[in-house]
Amino acid sequence: MADTDRKDRAEYEVPLGIVHSALLEPFRTRLFVDDETVVDAEITYDSAHRGIERIMEGMPVQKGLIITERICGICSHIHLWNGTRMVEQGLGIEVPQRAHHIRVIGNELERIHSHLLFLGHAFEILGHETFSMRCFMLREPVQNILFFLSGNRVHYTISVIGGIRPRADIDKEKRRTLLGMLNSLEEGCKNFANRALKDSLIVSRIKEIGYLSKDDAVKYGALGPNLRASGVCEDVRTRVSEYSNFDFDIIVYDGGAVLDRVACRVFEVLESIKIIRQALETLPDEEPMNVDFEIGEMGFSTSYNEAARGEIYDSCALDESGRIKNYINRTPSMSSISAMEVSCIGDHLTDASLIIASCDPCLTCTNRITVVDENKGREYVLGPDEIRSMTRRRRI
Amino acid sequence: MMLKETSRKNAVHIMLVYTGGCNGCDIEVVNAVLSPFYDLEQYKVMLTWNPREADILAVTGPVTKKIAPALKEIYDAIPEPKLVAAIGACATVGGPYANLGGDLGSSDQIIGGVEKVIPVDAKLPGCPPRPEDILQVVASVIPLLAEKR
Ligand code: SF4
Repeated sequence: MADTDRKDRAEYEVPLGIVHSALLEPFRTRLFVDDETVVDAEITYDSAHRGIERIMEGMPVQKGLIITERICGICSHIHLWNGTRMVEQGLGIEVPQRAHHIRVIGNELERIHSHLLFLGHAFEILGHETFSMRCFMLREPVQNILFFLSGNRVHYTISVIGGIRPRADIDKEKRRTLLGMLNSLEEGCKNFANRALKDSLIVSRIKEIGYLSKDDAVKYGALGPNLRASGVCEDVRTRVSEYSNFDFDIIVYDGGAVLDRVACRVFEVLESIKIIRQALETLPDEEPMNVDFEIGEMGFSTSYNEAARGEIYDSCALDESGRIKNYINRTPSMSSISAMEVSCIGDHLTDASLIIASCDPCLTCTNRITVVDENKGREYVLGPDEIRSMTRRRRI
Repeated sequence: MMLKETSRKNAVHIMLVYTGGCNGCDIEVVNAVLSPFYDLEQYKVMLTWNPREADILAVTGPVTKKIAPALKEIYDAIPEPKLVAAIGACATVGGPYANLGGDLGSSDQIIGGVEKVIPVDAKLPGCPPRPEDILQVVASVIPLLAEKR
């Protein structure tokens, strides 16, 4: 929508950001309000652009894949896993089942800590400090498990091409400790779920705001828990072969409001714990690493997987000496941004930042398409309007 | 000790600015160190989002070109005496985005290292640094704050 249309409908514009207390990450939200009701919203997220896809061009693939992990500090494992998976599929490298299990464990632990972080933030913005602190307190054991498993709290580097990094292997001793840690984590999460979702104060505050209908969710490309909270049963894990051995439920809610998005994530945490327990119990006894492969030329290869926030896609090709050509990484937040904007519309201004937070924005991965106009010496990010007008010009 | 110094030492406010890293350090500072588990508030250090109130500015992430002016503005808005702590490999030297090795050089979207934009008093490497280390760095710059005026 052009700016003039917005001005006709809106009385005021409320800008938040780039650095703002309610946002944490540097992005800019423009809310167009009419008598305190949001009529339109716009999220700009170009301030963390680091050009990762660009710097990976021409790197040896092993080195380049480690950089994918630095795309995001919340969902670091899935970027690396999906990248490795793509190269393994493209080159036909066989991976031991044990490595698959450990990678799945990493991904589910990551989903748990990401969802707990989300809950902490949502309650913080809601103004319920106690619940928020309880979430962060619950999250620390998960970080400790990850630290225990891999030696780093944020960038675990579990997957390498052909298997897993030896440090992240799970021996018998480690397995027993992990199962014990998991039990206490599950108990904590169950207690918290019971307490939070039965709290009438919280439920009445979040049950009718931030509505995102099923049609809108599909139309604007919401992904992951945001999509599932709007009543669409879609999970990439059902199509990923590594998950075929595990039994888990897909949590779907019909409401599409903030409450549904919160509840969906709470119960996904419990499902993830279920998957981790299965993976630990059925861990095959074999070498976790296949070193019998050669890296060479690879055609265009792609891979899809389910990150904590939804579908993630990676693709690239390799040249004769195994250097990366054209790495593309599409992350879930990129697609969910428009759904966030839409779900703010029609709500009170004071709810807007909560609604945006309830869609779980994570924008380090999303900054892209920055256009640098060297003649005029300016730099800008392509918005939908420019893309549309460029498309139109092209046709003539 | 003067009244002013005593009071300053007992109410330190830390402000966090995230300048384009991967969120890792950022979350470690806000959600680990300020959570009840590690609890930075035991040293009477409070988190604030208002630069006019802040004493310590914690910066995480390699400074991207887009956010450098905002960072400078925030730095200028903080009243004296102020300290800047660069937390994480990105904030100290530019991290994985700056040091790519070989003829690849650094990413041209980042300035790299907070030092290049504003003066830095404490640096903490690590990707990400452990919460215990972050605690230590913050606890060790508090006396500096009392000396500075
Ligand atoms: S130092 Fe590492 S964890 Fe911290 S922002 Fe940079 S890449 Fe992320």
